[in-house]
Amino acid sequence: MKKLLLSGVALLAATQIATARDVTVALSSDLRSSNPGVNRDGNTDSVILHIVEGLVGYNNGGEVKPLLAKSFETSADGLTYTFKLRTDVKFHNGKPLTADDVVWNWTRYLKPDTKWTCLKDFAEGGAAAVTGVTAVDPATVEIKLAKPSAVFLGLMSRPECGFTGIISPDSVAADGSFDKPIGTGPFQWGEWKKGEYIHLNKFADYVSPENNGQPDGMVGSKRPLVDGVKFMIIPDASTIKAGLQSGVLDTAEISPDLIPEFKESEKTQLIVARNNGKNLFYIQTRDKVLSKPGVRRAMAMALDLDQLVAAASNGTGEANGSMVSQDSVYFSETQKKRLPYDIEAAKKELADAGYNGEPISIIANKRGNVPSFPAAVMAQAMMQQAGLNVQIEVLDYATQVDRRRSGNYQVISQSVSPRLDPALMYAFYVGNKDENASLMWDDPKAIELMKAAYVEADPAKRQTIFDEFHALMLKEMPGIFLYDMVDVWGATKALKGQPVWQSNARLWEVSVEE
Amino acid sequence: MLRFILSRLVMALPTIALVSITVFALIRFIPGDPAALMLGDMAEPAQIAAMRTELGLDKPMPQQFLIWAGNVLQGDFGQSIVNDEAVLPLVVSRFMVSAEIVFVAVLLASLIAVPAGVIAAWRQNSLTDLALVGTATVLLSIPTFWLGLLLLLFFGLKLGWLPVLGYVSIRENFAGGLLYLVLPIMTLVIHEAGVLIRMARASTLEVLRLDYITHARAKGLSESAVLWRHAFKNAFGPTWTMIGLILGNLLGGIAVIETVFTIPGLGRLMVDSIFARDYPVIQGCLLFVSLSYVLVNLVIDLLYPLFDPRVVAE
Repeated sequence: MKKLLLSGVALLAATQIATARDVTVALSSDLRSSNPGVNRDGNTDSVILHIVEGLVGYNNGGEVKPLLAKSFETSADGLTYTFKLRTDVKFHNGKPLTADDVVWNWTRYLKPDTKWTCLKDFAEGGAAAVTGVTAVDPATVEIKLAKPSAVFLGLMSRPECGFTGIISPDSVAADGSFDKPIGTGPFQWGEWKKGEYIHLNKFADYVSPENNGQPDGMVGSKRPLVDGVKFMIIPDASTIKAGLQSGVLDTAEISPDLIPEFKESEKTQLIVARNNGKNLFYIQTRDKVLSKPGVRRAMAMALDLDQLVAAASNGTGEANGSMVSQDSVYFSETQKKRLPYDIEAAKKELADAGYNGEPISIIANKRGNVPSFPAAVMAQAMMQQAGLNVQIEVLDYATQVDRRRSGNYQVISQSVSPRLDPALMYAFYVGNKDENASLMWDDPKAIELMKAAYVEADPAKRQTIFDEFHALMLKEMPGIFLYDMVDVWGATKALKGQPVWQSNARLWEVSVEE
Repeated sequence: MLRFILSRLVMALPTIALVSITVFALIRFIPGDPAALMLGDMAEPAQIAAMRTELGLDKPMPQQFLIWAGNVLQGDFGQSIVNDEAVLPLVVSRFMVSAEIVFVAVLLASLIAVPAGVIAAWRQNSLTDLALVGTATVLLSIPTFWLGLLLLLFFGLKLGWLPVLGYVSIRENFAGGLLYLVLPIMTLVIHEAGVLIRMARASTLEVLRLDYITHARAKGLSESAVLWRHAFKNAFGPTWTMIGLILGNLLGGIAVIETVFTIPGLGRLMVDSIFARDYPVIQGCLLFVSLSYVLVNLVIDLLYPLFDPRVVAE
């Protein structure tokens, strides 16, 4: 028996030695597809981020910077974007990047058959309708738009769009079907064992875009410092914890209740990183009770937001009542304003609005990586002090999505994934509720401001729009924004670097000490 | 014999049809739109509607069922909504992973539990009986996910003898793969042995009280001959049935074990599919589980005469 166990240990050790220089990270669910921006979810985006790159990408501050492009220019009328390509970029198959490749990719993305998630934004009638993509010379691409758009570059950089990654035409088989992503990123496609893991190999010929030696969002220094990345599919939080403690996993998102344990452990380290996602109470402004702005404001004023955020985020979050993220370049002094915590004022607002104790239901889910349920519990207790009759309805996530989509809710304790441009974040909440029941706020002025933010490219003028929008939001309170999402990850002590950015694993400039 | 098998299979058809209809309807009554989940939170209503049309979800439910049932009869279980994979190969490959664990675990549990149960009955009310029954009761009371985690933490984390997570198929690497199967199998063996010990003990006790056992003893046969040659054969029937039921249950229901030990088996596929509202995969999994349940119990019935000659398979 002893011999058998010893040989088992030896075999296990041999297996681990073979992959010792990979960085191993957990994914809560399997990849949906390897086709960038086609069949995706958050985990898929995390993998694809390492393989493909677009012409441009977001930096840490939410600004769009050149990535495969060396530079880009916009014509005076805002209709033509000219991208000068870097000449040091190679695809994973060794072929150099050319303007023809960019044209081929855009042509493919804009074909309905490709089923690109972002087609609606770039097709006719979209927020950044593309009318033509041409190769001016081997290193210059020109993209023409139907009308000026301030969000064209931002949309191109979105994870949901597969980062509008430029892949080699060899990624597609002779019959037109997608084979595998041959991109230009720091890691290349290796192996996908469905339900088990995805393995990416280091791209030895990778050259980072111009940088200051530091990783910076999707741009900056992007050196692959490990031999490969292994994404293991592990849905169970306890198993992830055991994996990190044993060293089988190098890093993974962990349940926030493990923060104290990981902070104090000698084997592991805690990684906390704020992102541009939002935690909020999404309010149905057409509900009989909640259609009165006074009731909504009273709900906001009943919340001791700092206390609520500290409890719901296990001390990792910071209250932010704005739709604009704290890390955005547009997070101005105006954006910092929020309604005061004032129980008496809340009671007065309720009395003025004629509220008579009608029940208000907050829908919450118990997914471990979002504060939906704890935030709802805290809010319930606080709102009850102001005389609000708040109940909590716990649903599974799929049912919660269904309720929001149909508009059948009063309040949802919701988390919204990062959108780095505030205008794109607004689009999640604002618009015509008759056309899209899932939207939160259909105030005409808010819609007008959002549309203006989609078109206006001048940063100073955009700031004015965003500030005006925030002032209107505080007056109408269509939803109560709590705090920016926080990525809580664990890692072994051997891991060096920052393995997460905007809720995505980001494993370039990350190494594992032997 | 052939007639018996055919008649059993024919008798199973209404069961499978009923299961199919029930599953098909129930999963659609659960709130949650697969098209909306698939397209994510940036999708607009028109996109979701188009996706629903593409997936055939806009058709009336009876029509959807008839299309699906017609395809299944031709061997086409459809494609996964989530990743477009063909359902049948996906379900079969995941079933093989679960089956590896379940068959070995049930075999080991039976080899341990049946003799233990018989001995407990033979030594009724003794310290041995008390110890075995007590142990069995404790074992079957422990939730498998908790037991699995304890084993994982002890053997994987504390002692470092066995892998904490991951999976290697024994078809690709037999020795390496076995290491990954030890803990899930051990968890199942411990739990199921508890059930089987109690069943084997109870059925043996009943037989030991019968007159022919007294007669055998009166003839002067040794206790081991009485126990194993005369009592065991008659007592094993109910335990054998229980083994069949356990096997059938586990083949479609070790999702918790598979989740804790990161085993890509059928149970985990089913749970993931339910969360994603991946209708074709859920239907495929449950249909497959029903079929395997029927087949396992058919095989159990066919093997019954080997243990009890009074039973004839016809």
